[in-house]
Amino acid sequence: MYLYLYDSFLNDKRFAQTLAKIETRLTDLGIGGKIYRLSPLRNVEELISDEVKAGVTNIIVVGNDKTLSQVVNVAAKHEVALGLIPLGPENQIAQALGIPEGEGACDIVAARIVKRVDLGRINNLYFLSGVKIFSSEVTLECEELYSISSKLKNALITICNFRPATAQLAATANYFNPQDGFLEVFIQPEKTGFFNIFKRPDRQKTIIPFKKLAIKSKSSVPVVTDGQRVLKTPVKIEVIPKKLKLIVGKNRNF
Amino acid sequence: MLKKEGMSNEVETIIGPSVHVEGDFVGNGDVVIEGTVSGKLRTEKNLRIGETAKIFANISAANILVAGEVQGNIKAKESLELTSSAKVFGDIKTNIVTIASGAIFHGRCQAGEEKKSRLEKIDDKENNKNKEKPLEPVIK
Repeated sequence: MYLYLYDSFLNDKRFAQTLAKIETRLTDLGIGGKIYRLSPLRNVEELISDEVKAGVTNIIVVGNDKTLSQVVNVAAKHEVALGLIPLGPENQIAQALGIPEGEGACDIVAARIVKRVDLGRINNLYFLSGVKIFSSEVTLECEELYSISSKLKNALITICNFRPATAQLAATANYFNPQDGFLEVFIQPEKTGFFNIFKRPDRQKTIIPFKKLAIKSKSSVPVVTDGQRVLKTPVKIEVIPKKLKLIVGKNRNF
Repeated sequence: MLKKEGMSNEVETIIGPSVHVEGDFVGNGDVVIEGTVSGKLRTEKNLRIGETAKIFANISAANILVAGEVQGNIKAKESLELTSSAKVFGDIKTNIVTIASGAIFHGRCQAGEEKKSRLEKIDDKENNKNKEKPLEPVIK
């Protein structure tokens, strides 16, 4: 049984035609199901819990990274497969999963290649793709054994489960696998200034796999999970291996 | 032996030139260091210390290639290679050692398998015999 969750921004008229096409394609493929439109007034947790009790085994999110991230926290608590039909801006997770935008994603959902992937947990929140830290003046305490700090003031620090958009594929081919049971600390200098354009970023990068980490700082620093939720340091992060069942495409990058 | 560019296809830990690591660092696979490490450094696999790296730690790995500066003892299970830019201030212990001309090395070096010399073996045998002999009673 399929449950489709539409993000609230899809109420915009410019998405009406694409949504109609998607719905037709889903019916043709025989994987139609209940449709709910998310809104700030609707409690996602309650909705999903009720539907899972009613027999839903596949939850398909129609929207972008933010929509998916909102649902991941609830879906991780149930034994369901989570799929995505990407629509709208900011769809980097869909790219990592090898899912094309719009109608093409319906075939991926129908093909139903299900992979168990790791999830990150920050304090008590799950995240799928990664965590961005908006300051390099932090100390990362890994596995309660050693600490990592950056000498650069303009370094970009990210905690990754999926490959970040800023990482070059060729230089980081063996990293950022969401099925390896590790998260990665990824540090690279921010490209500012004329001369930095010519520096090879792969020679400057730092990648450290870990299972458990704490982010500490002298003053409180914002930390953003999946580009959506904002938390403040200090925070604790750990990997939860094979926590989520995800419907992926053939062209996924892991 | 270690290759200078890309040691294997396995996931490796990379510590970049702008990063400082402090504490008991235990790598999960191959480790490449271009930054600063102080404390302890250990991996069961290969370790490459780049030209820009500064290590203030005792090091232990299977194969080690040093091109930067190390202040501490190095223990390589299989092989250790010091390139011409290497600076090592500490003792080294390994099976196979390669030191390029121009490398700076201050310390003791122990290379090769730990086999006792023939003379030491004879000494050991004699000591054992003496231990086995029963003590004769002393009659006054």
